[in-house]
Amino acid sequence: MLSVKGLRANVGDKEILRGLDFEVGPGEVHAIMGPNGSGKSTFAHVLSGREGYEVTAGSVTFEGKDLLALEPEERAQLGLFLAFQYPVELPGVNNTYFLKAALNSIRKARGEEELDAVSFLRLIKERLKILHLDDSLLKRAVNAGFSGGEKKRNEIFQMALLEPKLAILDETDSGLDIDALRVVADGVNALRSAERSMIVVTHYQRLLDYIQPDHVHVLSKGRIIRSGGKELALELEEKGYGWIDAEGQAA
Amino acid sequence: MNGDMPTGFASWLAHERSCDAGIDWLDARRRNAAERVREQGVPSSRDEGWRYTNLKGLLEQGFLQPDEPITALQPDDLEEVLVPGLASHRVILVNGRFVPELSLLEDLPPGVRVSGLASLLASDPDVLKDRLNAVAGDDLALFAALNTAGLDDGVVALVDRGVLLERPIELIHVSVGLDEPRVAQPRNVIVLGAGAQAIVIERYLSLGDSLYCTNCVTEVSLGRDAVLKHDRIQTESPSAFHISGLYLRQDANSRYLGVNLGLGARWARTDLNATFGGEHAECDLQGLYLAGDGQLMDYHLDVDHSVPNCASRENFKGILYGKGRAVFDGRVFVAQDAQKTDAAMSNRNLMLSESAEVDTKPQLEINADDVKCSHGTTVGQIEPEMLFYLRSRGISAPLARRMLCLGFAGEIIERLSAEALRDQVSELVGQRLESAPLS
Ligand SMILES: Nc1ncnc2c1ncn2[C@@H]1O[C@H](COP(=O)(O)OP(=O)(O)OP(=O)(O)O)[C@@H](O)[C@H]1O
Ligand SMILES: [Mg+2]
Repeated sequence: MLSVKGLRANVGDKEILRGLDFEVGPGEVHAIMGPNGSGKSTFAHVLSGREGYEVTAGSVTFEGKDLLALEPEERAQLGLFLAFQYPVELPGVNNTYFLKAALNSIRKARGEEELDAVSFLRLIKERLKILHLDDSLLKRAVNAGFSGGEKKRNEIFQMALLEPKLAILDETDSGLDIDALRVVADGVNALRSAERSMIVVTHYQRLLDYIQPDHVHVLSKGRIIRSGGKELALELEEKGYGWIDAEGQAA
Repeated sequence: MNGDMPTGFASWLAHERSCDAGIDWLDARRRNAAERVREQGVPSSRDEGWRYTNLKGLLEQGFLQPDEPITALQPDDLEEVLVPGLASHRVILVNGRFVPELSLLEDLPPGVRVSGLASLLASDPDVLKDRLNAVAGDDLALFAALNTAGLDDGVVALVDRGVLLERPIELIHVSVGLDEPRVAQPRNVIVLGAGAQAIVIERYLSLGDSLYCTNCVTEVSLGRDAVLKHDRIQTESPSAFHISGLYLRQDANSRYLGVNLGLGARWARTDLNATFGGEHAECDLQGLYLAGDGQLMDYHLDVDHSVPNCASRENFKGILYGKGRAVFDGRVFVAQDAQKTDAAMSNRNLMLSESAEVDTKPQLEINADDVKCSHGTTVGQIEPEMLFYLRSRGISAPLARRMLCLGFAGEIIERLSAEALRDQVSELVGQRLESAPLS
């Protein structure tokens, strides 16, 4: 589904991703952990096509297409979704209008019919329930004045609505209280399926108790330095990243 | 009387007026206004207030006033003119003249009088003696002086003391293309008695995209405790010149909530003048303008806090694209004894192209020491972060830009007094942006 090979990317003249290899198959959940500044968000942004990053080497294929050649909206239409670490506030842009524009843009690109107002509302009401979100959020401007937790839940709500093939969750757990974390995790789990894959970026083992990953990777200084099963996350929680770095040095 | 009028303006006044009733006070006011035109002559770019504007394009048109009643607008055309779903007491003017057959004034409640200016001058001129030109005053600026000197027709809306009018009064100024380019100079007079409350919607639009000029003046006078919501929506033809002067005077405790939308015309000059006649009055002036290729949106605000304890808000937003231009010249004056004045002026501009241009000049002249006054301006582009967020959800770049522009404009649009109006304006702004070039 997603295949990243030898990916290198710069911001300005600073190299952030330094030869990253990454494979995701259908239905798989991958966790990426790693210290602050190691390049996790940069990786997520490069995948989703944000400006300001220069890819200097490597390739990314998604669903058989050269992902890096596509515009951000084309990537989304192909089934890629990024839940932002810092969701952007859009003052004056009504949430319902935004969701409808997003959903219908994606449906149109897939050759499906646009949803009419009634079926659209039915759909969002149903998805809101999964995330325990209040209807009133729909009337407000996108993320504007939302609490940190509401913003994160709104990201997962959008994911539930847009039904991507591959979702990248960039620290969706940070800033959530314990109840909200469970709600978000339940939402994510409800969306797991044999076709839908996920990349979950997190600093905390706690999230991985709820969303059980198939694979755990450690990103450090722009490279994957260790991959394993979910027990790797436990080990990291216990020993910190220093442990792998030290081991890497020793080897 | 028009012998030595400045060239270019003489033709504006050379016509048979539909309201020459031989009223002495009116003739005196017209003569004084004509004198003011002569004194001022044609302003040049050296005149403050005309620095960014060249009147040559306007003057060389040789606009004429319509010399006969216009019947070109048929009931069938109404559909194009009305806002779907908006229930109002409606007055229709075509090329500056009141058309009673198309207006809808039967249901006015007691205490509310709405009529054509010319017919009121013919039937009951005394009603107007202390009201017409009362707010604009004798010391008229050029285009208000022209409007007065050429006074012809318009609308008078009088709401008596204590009357709460529910349905809006809608003044629809329609321009219909004629063989020769014409200037219409309607005068609107709105008077609310003490404690009265009303909504007035003033619209300027055209059928077709012909060349013409509108030079309108609206005088608003609010009694003690009166509340007026006033939407002014300009969607003139893309070839038109639109000149508009608002003269507002507020008594103690009154509230004025005004929304000014400049969405059409090749050149639209808007002068908003507000004065207070009593304490604790509030004046809220909101505005939104769009300017694209070949368009100039030109705003001049003058809010005069000469009385203590009044508040004013001036909040104007602009979206500029292509080679569009805008001017925001906002002045708030606070007199020495106008303590506790609370004034906040803001002008924010969203530039969608490199070749668009805005000159923004907010000025606070504060002569009192215990006041709360602020001003701020911004000229910026669409935030790349916001654009990326929308695109990452599958929304194309052009639609995403449009959504962000509408979000920016929404703060002003949502203040319009009726949902039907808000819907229509949002759609119109969306359409305008859809056809806007992106660089
Ligand atoms: N636009 C930018 N300009 C300059 N430096 C940048 C930019 N974006 C990222 N960086 C740098 O790239 C490095 C990687 O940042 P990134 O946000 O990818 O880290 P991260 O692994 O997501 O960290 P965190 O766990 O704190 O979220 C950091 O050193 C950061 O300062
Ligand atoms: Mg990050």
